[in-house]
Amino acid sequence: MSEFKVHHREGEGVNVIELKGYLDAHTATDLETAFQRLLNDRKYNIVVNCRDLTYISSAGLGVFMAYIEDVRKNRGDIKLTNMSTKVYNVFDLLGFPILYEIYKEEQEAVRKFNEHAGPSR
Amino acid sequence: MAKMLVGKGLILSREHGGTFRVLLVRGMSESAQSAHIEIPRPPSSFMDLRRKVSAMPWRETLTGWGIELMVPITSRNRLVGYLGLGRRLNGSRFVRDDRNLIQSLVDLSGSAIEKALIIDQVNDANRNLDRKVQELNTLFELSKEFNAGLDLQKILRLITFALLGQVGVRTYAVCLRNGPAMEIAASRLAEGEELGGILPDLAELKGPMLTSDMLRMKSYRSAAAELMRLGLHAAVPMHIQNQTRGLLLVGERLRGGRYAQADLEFLYALGNLAGISIENARLFMEALEKQKMEDELLIARDIQQGLLPEVLPEVPGFDIAAMNIPSKQVGGDYYDVLPRKDDQYVFAIGDVSGKGTPAALLMANVQAALRALAPFDQPLAAITGRINDLTSANTRGGSKFITFFWGTLDTKERLLTYVNAGHNPPMLVRSDGTVERLEEGGLILGIFKTAKPYDEGSARMERGDVLFLFTDGVSEAMNAAGEDYTEEQLLEVVRASRGMTSAGIIEAVMKSVNRHVHDTPQSDDITMLVAKAV
Repeated sequence: MSEFKVHHREGEGVNVIELKGYLDAHTATDLETAFQRLLNDRKYNIVVNCRDLTYISSAGLGVFMAYIEDVRKNRGDIKLTNMSTKVYNVFDLLGFPILYEIYKEEQEAVRKFNEHAGPSR
Repeated sequence: MAKMLVGKGLILSREHGGTFRVLLVRGMSESAQSAHIEIPRPPSSFMDLRRKVSAMPWRETLTGWGIELMVPITSRNRLVGYLGLGRRLNGSRFVRDDRNLIQSLVDLSGSAIEKALIIDQVNDANRNLDRKVQELNTLFELSKEFNAGLDLQKILRLITFALLGQVGVRTYAVCLRNGPAMEIAASRLAEGEELGGILPDLAELKGPMLTSDMLRMKSYRSAAAELMRLGLHAAVPMHIQNQTRGLLLVGERLRGGRYAQADLEFLYALGNLAGISIENARLFMEALEKQKMEDELLIARDIQQGLLPEVLPEVPGFDIAAMNIPSKQVGGDYYDVLPRKDDQYVFAIGDVSGKGTPAALLMANVQAALRALAPFDQPLAAITGRINDLTSANTRGGSKFITFFWGTLDTKERLLTYVNAGHNPPMLVRSDGTVERLEEGGLILGIFKTAKPYDEGSARMERGDVLFLFTDGVSEAMNAAGEDYTEEQLLEVVRASRGMTSAGIIEAVMKSVNRHVHDTPQSDDITMLVAKAV
C-alpha cells in the first residue's frame, strides 16, 4: 500500500510541513488533518517541504486548494518548496504555479515570510 | 519596433477560423497576454485601426490597448496572424516606405512564426493529452477510494478535493436528493448564500450544462439566473439509472477560463461515479440501521421475557397455568405469580402501551415496583397508588401508560382481593357457569400521580371456580378481515371449558382464537393467566 507521512516542525514564526511518500485520495485526509490543526492554532505562515514527496494526485492538490483561501484571508500563505520535477509537472499541468509561490529551497520560502513580516512588526 | 519608433506592439496568432490569441506583447499591460480575440472576417492587408469603419468589438479591444496598425502575417499565402503596432513615439504616421519595410520584415519572419506556432500546437496537444491522462487517473483513484469505506462524509470530501484539485473551482455546491427534496451536502458559496429554491428545477437536467446555455432555455431560465447571481457557471447532474440523484454546481475557476466540453465531461463522469458510491453508502447505512433496530428488538424481547416467571409457584388448593406469546414487534405484556406472605399469593397481569425497548423497560419498572412493594403489609389500594406514582414519574407526563390488574389470593380463606387499574376486567367463572367481571380499581398507571385512592374489590373462590386473566392481545386478535376476536367469544369459550384444567382452558381458548385469526400474523402479545380452585 502507498505510504504517506506528514511531519510538522515549527521555527521562527514559520510552520514547516514535510511530506513524504504518496499524496493521493487515500492519504489526502492526513494532510487535511495537519492543515486543520495549524489553522485551529491560528498558525498561518506555512511552508510545505516536498523533498520526499514522490507522487501527488489531483485529490492531493485539492487539499492545498481547500485551505489556501482561509490561510490567505488571515494574512498567511502556503508556500511550496523542494519539489521533484515529477511532482512539479502535476502542479504545472493543472495550472497551480500561478496560484502558489514555489521555491527551490525551504530556506528561501522561510526568508520570504520573515522579510514580509519583518518591517510590519 | 525600435526602428519604427513604436512603443507598443503585439503579435496575434491564428488558432482557427476567426479566433486569434495574443502571443506576445511589448510595452503594454501583461493582462493582454494570452487573451483571445474573435475577428470574424480577418482582413488580409494592412489595416489602420484609427480609421472609423463600422464598430467591431475586436477593433475596440485592440485600440483600447493602444494598437493602431494591423499587419497580416502570412506563410505560404495563408494568414497565420497579425503584427499589431501602437502609436509611433514621434507621433508621425506610417508612410508607404515604412509599410513596405514592415511588410518585408513580416514576410521574412512569417514561416518562422508558423513553425513556432506548430511547435506550440504540438506542445498544447501534448499538454491536453497529459491533462486527460491526469483526469482519468483521478477518476480511477477516486473510484477505488469511494468504495473503500461507504462513508458519505468521506465521499463528499473526496469530491470536494477533486473539484478543487483537478478542476480548480473556487465556488461549488454538491447537492444530493433526499426523498423528494434536493439538499446541499457540501459547498463553498459566497457567505450567507443559499440556493435551495432552484434545485428542483435542475433535477430535470439530462446532462451537464453551462449556466449561459441554460439561460437561453425557457424551463431553466429562472434557475440559471439564480446560478449566475451566485457565480455558478455550470450544473452537472449525477445520474443513476436515468434518475438525478444529485447535482454538482461549479463556479469560477482559480486558473480562469471557461468550462470547455471536456471539463463538463470530466465533471459528469465524476458526478456519476460519486452518485453510485453515495447510493451504495446510503443503502449500507439503511441496512445497518435495520440491523440495529432488529438488535434492539432482540434486546427488548430479552428484557420482556426476563420479566415473566420461568416456573409458576405451587399454590395450594389451586391449579395455575399461564401462557405468553410475544408478537413479532415485541409489545409490553406482563404477568406474574409470586408468594406474598403466610398463605397469600400475588397474581398480576399488565399491558404497556407502545412496543419495543421503551415498552419493555417500563414494564420492567412496574414489575420492580410490584415486587418491592407487595411484601409490605399494606392495603392493595395503597400499594397500587405507590406503583402508579413511581411509574408516572418515569413516564414523564403520560406519553406511555400501563393497564394493570393485580390481586392477592389467600389460599386458606380462598379469598381474592384485587385492584383493577384500567385493565380488561378478568373473568371469574363460577362452577355453575355464572360470570363476574373484576372491575373495581381506578385509573390506568403512568398517566397522573395518584390523586384519588384506588378501590379494592374482593371475591371468594369456591371449588371449580375459574379466575381468567387476559390481555387485549387475546380479545382483539384480528382476522384477515380486520375483525376482533371479541371478549364475548372469549367468555363463551372460557365458560364452556370451565370443567377442564387451567392448562386445558388456555388450550381451548388458543384453539378458538387460532380458528378466528386463521393465518393472519399476530400483531400484539397474547397473555393469559388462569387460577382454578380445586
